[in-house]
Amino acid sequence: MVSSLALPAWASGSDGGAALSGTEFDLEIAGLPVNYTGKRRIATAVNGRVPAPTLRFREGDTVTLRVHNKLDEMTSVHWHGLIVPAEMDGVPGISFGGIAPGETFTYRFPIRQTGTFWYHAHTLAEQTGLFGAIVIEPRESQVRPPDRDYVVMLSDWTDEPPLQVFLNLKKQSNYYNFGQPTVGDFVKDAGEVGLAAAIKKRQMWNASRMNPTDYSDVSAATYTYLLNGTTAAGNWTGVASPGERVRLRFVGAGTATFFDVRIPGLPLTIVATDGQNVEPVTVDEFRIAPGETYDVEFTMPDAKPYTIFAQSMDRTGFARGTIAPSPGMTGPIPALDQRPWLEPIDMMGAMAAMAGGHTGHGIMEMPPPARHARTEYAANNDMRVDYPRTNLDDPGAGLRGRPWRVLTYADLKSPNGDPDPREPGRDIELHLTGNMERFIWSLDGIKLNDSKPLHFRPNERLRVTFVNDTMMSHPMHLHGMWSDLEDAAGMFQVRKHTIVVQPAQRLSFRVTADAMGRWAFHCHLLYHMAAGMFREVVVA
Amino acid sequence: MSTTTNIVVLAAIASLAAAFPAAAQEAPPAPKEDHSGMDMSGDMQGMDMPAAPTKMEMGGMQGGKAPADARNSDDYSDGYRNSTLPNYEMADQISIPKVLVDELEFASGNEGQGIGWSVLLTNGTDSNKLWLRSQGLKNSKEERLDPESSAEALWWHSAGPYWGTLVGVRQDIGKGATTWLAAGVEGLAPYWFDVQLTGYVGTDGRLAARAKLSYEALLTNRLILTPQVEANVYSKQSRDRELGSGFSNVELSARMRYEVSRKFAPYIGYVWEQALGGSADFRRSRGEGPGEHRFVAGLRLWW
Repeated sequence: MVSSLALPAWASGSDGGAALSGTEFDLEIAGLPVNYTGKRRIATAVNGRVPAPTLRFREGDTVTLRVHNKLDEMTSVHWHGLIVPAEMDGVPGISFGGIAPGETFTYRFPIRQTGTFWYHAHTLAEQTGLFGAIVIEPRESQVRPPDRDYVVMLSDWTDEPPLQVFLNLKKQSNYYNFGQPTVGDFVKDAGEVGLAAAIKKRQMWNASRMNPTDYSDVSAATYTYLLNGTTAAGNWTGVASPGERVRLRFVGAGTATFFDVRIPGLPLTIVATDGQNVEPVTVDEFRIAPGETYDVEFTMPDAKPYTIFAQSMDRTGFARGTIAPSPGMTGPIPALDQRPWLEPIDMMGAMAAMAGGHTGHGIMEMPPPARHARTEYAANNDMRVDYPRTNLDDPGAGLRGRPWRVLTYADLKSPNGDPDPREPGRDIELHLTGNMERFIWSLDGIKLNDSKPLHFRPNERLRVTFVNDTMMSHPMHLHGMWSDLEDAAGMFQVRKHTIVVQPAQRLSFRVTADAMGRWAFHCHLLYHMAAGMFREVVVA
Repeated sequence: MSTTTNIVVLAAIASLAAAFPAAAQEAPPAPKEDHSGMDMSGDMQGMDMPAAPTKMEMGGMQGGKAPADARNSDDYSDGYRNSTLPNYEMADQISIPKVLVDELEFASGNEGQGIGWSVLLTNGTDSNKLWLRSQGLKNSKEERLDPESSAEALWWHSAGPYWGTLVGVRQDIGKGATTWLAAGVEGLAPYWFDVQLTGYVGTDGRLAARAKLSYEALLTNRLILTPQVEANVYSKQSRDRELGSGFSNVELSARMRYEVSRKFAPYIGYVWEQALGGSADFRRSRGEGPGEHRFVAGLRLWW
């Protein structure tokens, strides 16, 4: 599983199939017995590996990937973040018809970018292990390559079939949440802050039938969190000697899990996100969403083991690995944090920030109101935020008020400025919507199959503005085209392919519609996508 | 008496009817909720808002009607339609069958022992479902059935984020059974109260209504106490079912379950039921008191 590469990928020797490089690839998708929990289950493997082998491409090459489906069901592979022709994008029903059992689909596309990306099934098989990293080396050799270069894939495994997880959520949306407020919590609060204050703390949530602990739909009640396909007990280890410069390429491959990552004792310099270089920024912790990637660098200070600690956002479990001078060393594992409640700004946005409902990120000017769609007033949507917050300098619920530095989107800046400085010709406002109680997810209150596509005109520069009307964070992924994130003032900030919109937040990104065809545009929480938080985009 | 009772029942049914449009606007049961959704004004005051931005109107975060100038999300399509390639993601349209055995219990009390049940089978989409609902209690003493023992077949339609309307039929079970047309609402009221209100028109000309209200108190995340109140009202008496006119009974219960898993939860509980009016008279004529209490132990299951 170790994909250690001191040299550029294609220059290094074989590492047992954990990484493949070149221009021609044969990927065989088949079931593979695995055991993460004490129970034997069948995962979906590529070339007998879970996670799938890391694919090492080189900028400027044209790659051919023959994907052989040895499963007894339709499958697909999507190249997440890669700019490819529409028919090569791997979304069943939109890019192509999927890969039928026994069939081979040949993907062929030029590599026009560099950095860390990943690939995964665009079906529920993403949950059962069909995902792997993609590392694209630049055509010109790097100025100063790191001494150690590791992929760190964070994922969530369940022994339940993913369809069962989806049905459980549809039948009882809090099915996996065993951290809900209890009568005991109320009594405890009342004892500490008084009865009236304890009631007041709950009033907003209970009156609106919202759960302040609803961070994640799926928890460690069924999930085992994995780092490079290894459980916390298995302790994946990357070797690095004192003085060596280490790059870790974090991939958020969780289907329903945001991870909060830190390596206690090591300041982490974020050098890239979603395959895009950023102005280096040093933090102690960062949150990675399903779909995102972060390249992190540090210099190994001494010969001690350092723990990569990635706790789930809902604080029910963690993935763990180690960076150490030699295998077998283990560092201390931090305790899981308590799960805090969501805060009023996660429900009311700027309303609460204005009111001082949250300290540290107060907004003094009231932003313009959101423009809700007519369809947001229907039964499939349970809430609307009229005055969303717009600041990007919020690490999100659960990370506020840390005694150390936590990455926020405000810290991410592309070094080279706006890749397409044209002023956006028009705005598309889209609201992230849902009905938590019924596990219905949608955009503008409309589920995928009740929707019509978004039409982008060829080569236009346009602005997409999200307003998150829900109380959950959604990593929104536009296929085929870059998402150029803007700050609250509308200034270009950073290029990404997956943008997290926090609860009750408004943010905008620009798109250059330079990719003809039909594309998927969806929340990268797998079960939100399945439930309808998904639109088609047509560039024509 | 019967006129008064009819008025009571009609009032009950009228209040149900009134709940329909209210449900569509996501507001029942308290009209007060209609504009605020969640008493935001009070909340905001409580937060010591600095120099209150008066232009800022809450507008209601839940419910309400779309303003005339609301966006039309379909406008972004410019007439394009979604792809028609095979294997399109269709999971948002699937019909999902669910069986909820909410109560299946052994009961023992001052009127002997028996078996009680409350079961709900549903199948359908986010918008429309078939509901099959049954409740009852069979007492081993004289093989008697509780007069509220019945089965219903209903069409559930999503009428608001937390509310659904129900239309269908109810069939009583046991002696003197009547067939009824049924219409009602069900849903989740603010502060997490589960509500089921149903009005009935019987083939024998009687009107009836049944109300159920319950709440789940999480003692822990697995130990859950569910207090429930149920009341039934009839416009005319039924001698065969020993039901009087007017409010026939009110039942208060509390069940405490332990969720071994979400889908499997044994429970124990206590039920106190009071027969009222003519129904109480029927009981007295049999030499029984109008009050009934029983301990219950059972299983809550779903799949």
